[in-house]
Amino acid sequence: MRNFLLIAKREYLQQVRGRAFKLSTVLLPLGILAMLSATYFTGRNAHGDRHIAIASDSAALAEDMRRQLLDDKSAHYIVDIVAPATEADLAALRLQIRSKSVDGVMSIDHSINGAPIATYTEQSVLDYGTSGHLKYVLNRSLLQQRLAISGLKPAEAEALMKEVPVETLEIDKQGKAAKSTGMAGFTKAMVMAFMLTMPILLYGMDMARSIIEEKSSRIFEVMLAVCSPEDLLTGKLLGVGAVGLTQVAIWVGATALLTGSALAAPLLSGNFSIHFSVMEAILFPLYYVLGFFLYSSLFSGFASTCETAQELQMFMPAAIVPVWVSFAVLPFLLNNPDSVWAKVLSFIPFTSPFVMLPRVGLEAVPFWELGVSVGLLVLSIWGTLWLSSRLYRVGILMYGKRATLPEIVRWIRYS
Amino acid sequence: MPVVELAEVTKAYENKVAVSRLSLSIQAGQMFGLLGPNGAGKTSSIRMMMGITGPDSGAVRLFDKPFERASLDRVGYLPEERGLYKKMKVIDQLVFFGELHGLAAAEARKRAVTWAERLEIADALEKKTEELSKGMQQKIQFIACLLHDPGLIVMDEPFSGLDPVNAVLLQDALLELKAEGRAILFSTHRMDQVEKLCDSICLINNGEAVLSGNLREIKGSYERNRVIIEFQGSADFLSSPEIAEARNYAGHAEIRLQPHGDAQKLLHQAAAMATIYRFELVEPSLEEIFIQTVGGKANA
Repeated sequence: MRNFLLIAKREYLQQVRGRAFKLSTVLLPLGILAMLSATYFTGRNAHGDRHIAIASDSAALAEDMRRQLLDDKSAHYIVDIVAPATEADLAALRLQIRSKSVDGVMSIDHSINGAPIATYTEQSVLDYGTSGHLKYVLNRSLLQQRLAISGLKPAEAEALMKEVPVETLEIDKQGKAAKSTGMAGFTKAMVMAFMLTMPILLYGMDMARSIIEEKSSRIFEVMLAVCSPEDLLTGKLLGVGAVGLTQVAIWVGATALLTGSALAAPLLSGNFSIHFSVMEAILFPLYYVLGFFLYSSLFSGFASTCETAQELQMFMPAAIVPVWVSFAVLPFLLNNPDSVWAKVLSFIPFTSPFVMLPRVGLEAVPFWELGVSVGLLVLSIWGTLWLSSRLYRVGILMYGKRATLPEIVRWIRYS
Repeated sequence: MPVVELAEVTKAYENKVAVSRLSLSIQAGQMFGLLGPNGAGKTSSIRMMMGITGPDSGAVRLFDKPFERASLDRVGYLPEERGLYKKMKVIDQLVFFGELHGLAAAEARKRAVTWAERLEIADALEKKTEELSKGMQQKIQFIACLLHDPGLIVMDEPFSGLDPVNAVLLQDALLELKAEGRAILFSTHRMDQVEKLCDSICLINNGEAVLSGNLREIKGSYERNRVIIEFQGSADFLSSPEIAEARNYAGHAEIRLQPHGDAQKLLHQAAAMATIYRFELVEPSLEEIFIQTVGGKANA
């Protein structure tokens, strides 16, 4: 067997048999699941369980608002009414907000004659859900009252005010209008981004850590007498990359089994039916492999210049920032996968895996864009590998201290 | 046919010449000692033989061919900085190194077991490397570099950190390998081991060879001017003009002769006055030669 394959095999078997691999295979998806469900449930209950006081000059208006608020079964409101309310009542209510016995106070003046003035006072100004909901309910009630005053019967007013539901459609990849995937699209994009980022970063870091470990155990001197530094680096990259791929394969396999089972059918129906296309099935491993090679060859170069894991910390921003940026644009991306930013980021090699894949899940990305994105990735892997292997050749035999920048430049020129 | 040959090899690092125009060659069946104070350039020379670094000028030849990586399959290397994969099982590790040197896994396993039994460390094979003591790890590393039956064995300080029992075990193994016709190079600053084991030496200081050749010839070329006499009777012969300096410890005299002093004359004078039990013209020890040659020049 060729030496780099032997090295890859050793690296792979060592890691796959290790405890860290087994733990992360189980814990990582659980973590992602927990995060997603936390997002989902907190989003659903964003304006629930609130204790509201309505202080109005009109008792009828306040009563109508209370009825509407209590009708909303997804939220749990407790609504107190003070009507008609005096200045003293309002001052007392504000004290209640401070003592946190109510969450917010809605006060309405001039509700019947002239222009109504409404204010909503709450503990924090961050509760957009509740204030928005209250605004909607107030306007609806006011309209109903005005309609009643102008002589309409309650039933007629009700009929006039009946809401028309809006169905969201989207153009699918065949160009036909289809029911929007809504939440499912979002979930899928998030899952994909996570499933790419986590292993790429984890195993990239793993590469760096193991180089430093081997440097400190002085194994390189022995290894270099048998094989070239290129064999060592290639073997290690292949081995560690295969470990990550194995892990991703386990996750995908488990997901397929789970979604295929009868148990999953009710869970994954409706808004949560996530379908992966053939295109995504090809692109996911491709972007994983390319992303992994890019980040781990970069980390290998960094690690070669370091002496301890602490020193490596210094280089962390190089890994964190692109991922950060990718996740920061994810919400905008979901809004408009075709925006300039989304396009630019899906070409930049350090962000393209995390951005392009969710894009592919959301819209039909032209083939030339995919080609450019993958091409640029491959080119930059080649470049990074060239640089890192130079640092590696020299760095692995330099013991004692972290290399300074001028030294690093010299290493690159030297080898 | 030389197994390894350095011809006028020079290696400089940023601001220091590590090895300067060094030439040496080692034949099959020869045990060669590379000596020198710390920082003299021993490890740098060895690294060039192993292709870990390349010389700035000069040539390295292995097995009578210009250096090529493929030749390394026939070399066993024990570096001064020992290194093993800590978390790996010992037997897996040995098989891995065997495979890297081109052995089939099964063959590597078989040889590993044989060697482990011979070096009395078979119990350790199923353990993780990090569980072993330093001396045991060193024996494992020793096996790792011999597993593929190399024609050239290069060992940097092979006996450091070993207790006397294990050192003898390893020495015997090396002598046997030498008898089988392998070329062995080892670097050390333990002169007693070199005197016992090596046929040839090269003494380097500040990157330059200051003394090299056959150990016997080198020692022969130094004047034998020390004499030990054990005697009974009169000690008056100790005032002989042949003697520069003498110490008499009740019948045991240690003598340094005058330059060009004649030992045979001294023997006659002594025999005339006392009964001689022992008269020995002592060879200078390698350590003395080392100190004399390197003298105050060593930086270490």
